[in-house]
Amino acid sequence: MSRAELDRRVLEWIGEGAAAPADDERFDRLARDLFAYQYAHNPPYRRLCELAGRGPEQVSHWSEIPAASTGAFKEARLATFPPEREVRAFRTSGSTTRRRGVSSLDTLDLYEASALASFRAFVCPDLERTRFAVLAPDATAAPDSSLSHLFEVAVREFGNPRSRFFVGAQDWNPNALIRDLEQTREPVAIIGTAFAFVHLVDRVEQRGVALRLPAGSRVMETGGFKGRSRELTRDELHGAISRRLGIGPERIVNQYGMCELASQYYEPTLRTGAPTRSKQAPPWLRTRVVDPETLEALPAGVSGMLVHYDLANTGSVLAVQTSDRGRLGPEGLEVLGRLEGAEARGCSIAADALLAGADPGA
Amino acid sequence: MPELARLRTARAKLWEHPAAEARVIAALDRTLELWAAPDSEWRARLGEQQTLYSAAVLELGLVRAVEHWTAERMRELRARELPPDAHLPAVTALWLAGSIPPAMFQAMLLPLLAGSALLVKPPSSDPHSPELFAASIRAVDPGVADCIAITHEHEAFRNADALIAYGRDETLSALRGNFPDDRPFVGHGHKLSVAAVGRDAELEAAASAVALDAALWDGRGCLSPAWVWIEDRQRPRTERFCSALARALARLARELPRGTLSAAEQAWVRDSRARMAVRDGSRVWTSESGGRADTAWTIALEARTNFALPGMLRTLSVVPVPDAAGVLERCSALAPHLSCIGHCGWGTRTELLEEAVQKGMGSRLCPSGTMQLPSLDWKHDGHAALASLRLPTRSRQAELS
Repeated sequence: MSRAELDRRVLEWIGEGAAAPADDERFDRLARDLFAYQYAHNPPYRRLCELAGRGPEQVSHWSEIPAASTGAFKEARLATFPPEREVRAFRTSGSTTRRRGVSSLDTLDLYEASALASFRAFVCPDLERTRFAVLAPDATAAPDSSLSHLFEVAVREFGNPRSRFFVGAQDWNPNALIRDLEQTREPVAIIGTAFAFVHLVDRVEQRGVALRLPAGSRVMETGGFKGRSRELTRDELHGAISRRLGIGPERIVNQYGMCELASQYYEPTLRTGAPTRSKQAPPWLRTRVVDPETLEALPAGVSGMLVHYDLANTGSVLAVQTSDRGRLGPEGLEVLGRLEGAEARGCSIAADALLAGADPGA
Repeated sequence: MPELARLRTARAKLWEHPAAEARVIAALDRTLELWAAPDSEWRARLGEQQTLYSAAVLELGLVRAVEHWTAERMRELRARELPPDAHLPAVTALWLAGSIPPAMFQAMLLPLLAGSALLVKPPSSDPHSPELFAASIRAVDPGVADCIAITHEHEAFRNADALIAYGRDETLSALRGNFPDDRPFVGHGHKLSVAAVGRDAELEAAASAVALDAALWDGRGCLSPAWVWIEDRQRPRTERFCSALARALARLARELPRGTLSAAEQAWVRDSRARMAVRDGSRVWTSESGGRADTAWTIALEARTNFALPGMLRTLSVVPVPDAAGVLERCSALAPHLSCIGHCGWGTRTELLEEAVQKGMGSRLCPSGTMQLPSLDWKHDGHAALASLRLPTRSRQAELS
């Protein structure tokens, strides 16, 4: 099956919307066809499959498709097309001392279609357009950030002319936004990274004010803190947002995504009107919670390592193993944190941090 | 500071007696014998309290590590490093890190041997080893054990007379910053080690020795080989070495089973394997259990001769290096972070590695198969085992002031 045909089938499903019903048979058929294509056209990924002893002939269900870890995206170009066809590369966030994962794209169509379908369903389920205040750099300032790209296309698709990005490439000053928010009479959707929200609510607190944003306002936050602000738990952050911006927990949505995936999970808060820790995905994105020792699926409610299967990843690898910990429940996926700290238990070291600049063979 | 005062009193009482040195050495020697005994109660207790290591690893790792730490070696070490007029700290604070029991035993033993009392902060990853080692000394000689206090209070540390600290660079910096400049501070930051397999190595024997170095303490420590650099211009030889290494690790998975990994560690192994497998020209060998790959051990033959992906948790990167100059170049590049070089198959060219260590490329050179067995007098990170604790003499203090 050709890539164009695969893309067409995935786009067709995405076109039905993120709230389209799950269809097990459709997902399985499409996933296995896509796996066969990626196995044939993505040589590094094929090596990984060979190590797992699984090619298309051995896979009888999508859950058996070998996953590439997020770390593998730091080591090799995991793409089904030649470099000259690359139109955009999204990179994981990181410091100069650590390798960054790269997701190479030869088309933005699937990424944008999938991202917008979920954004529409979970952030803008009740409106056509609104005013956005974006707490992240725009795509020009951060061309390799998948999140900035998502925000840019979301503002393009759902924003009104008064929408604005408030964060520069390196830093940002929340004062301009606070002054703006103090005067606005228009509902506003504040979307951005969790650490930027920490800076915002801290600055609001320093100014001794508590904003009360107009009805219809909402918040979408995503990502961790990564040393860029003080760390807050989800409840602490949402509590601070409620107190300082006047947007209640029933209007705050947490998004879970990563640069290696074209699709994202969202809390359905704005669809249900009730705060929840469970996140939902469009039907073309599925997740297995596995035991990291055996890679066997764990029962619902039991926490384990998350492995995502995103059909919109047609140009790279559809199955992505993370270092995230979570569990599946009746309401969706609950992300519980990171499976990190392996290095800390011994006195061995995280190599890529240690050895930056000391590599004669690189 | 009641704990510090108590330690000073206990130390003064112990060392006022002319036979104190013999008494301390005898107590330490007897304590180590208890740990190395065939049915050691202390080893069994440690095995019950910690989950990191299998009983077989605890037994082989501890017995082999301490068997050379004899009373005779302790006497020699004192005689060599501590002249009769040596001025030594009354209380040494010891900030431990990591999870390797004999490394912690050695870290505790040396200040006691030097004549210091010991204030120990155990590591969160293994609080049991230091506590049990102190308890075992008490079972032998309560007077010597009175010179040890285990604490989780950090405040007393800055009032100790010397500080030995293990851990991350940030931890060491913070400890050093809070410790008076005029007292000995010995810091041991994170390091890693390598195995260098020379062109004359007999591959099966070399693989068995390297596998043992990786399997003991499950590749958790600074002395575990992070990489194997094999002197080779022909990939088939390296592939044969990797196959032999795979057989050796599979055998050790049965004879010296790995301990329990946390979910984060299991995820790290899974991620490392994927990273290794997708690299251009790499080849990966993995353990199997019931026909499916588990996380017991992993070997990656790297095509690129770089430093990516060092091993731990019985995960090994094997990197072919064309010649001895290439090995030395890598040692040099790693120098600030290099602890031990295990070698095999170098013949008379071993002196090249000796010179490298003398130039500061690591602080220890040993035959493969003995990387986890440092001698008592090892100048760990360049610090003399006992003499690094010596305080300035009065005349030297006057000079400094």
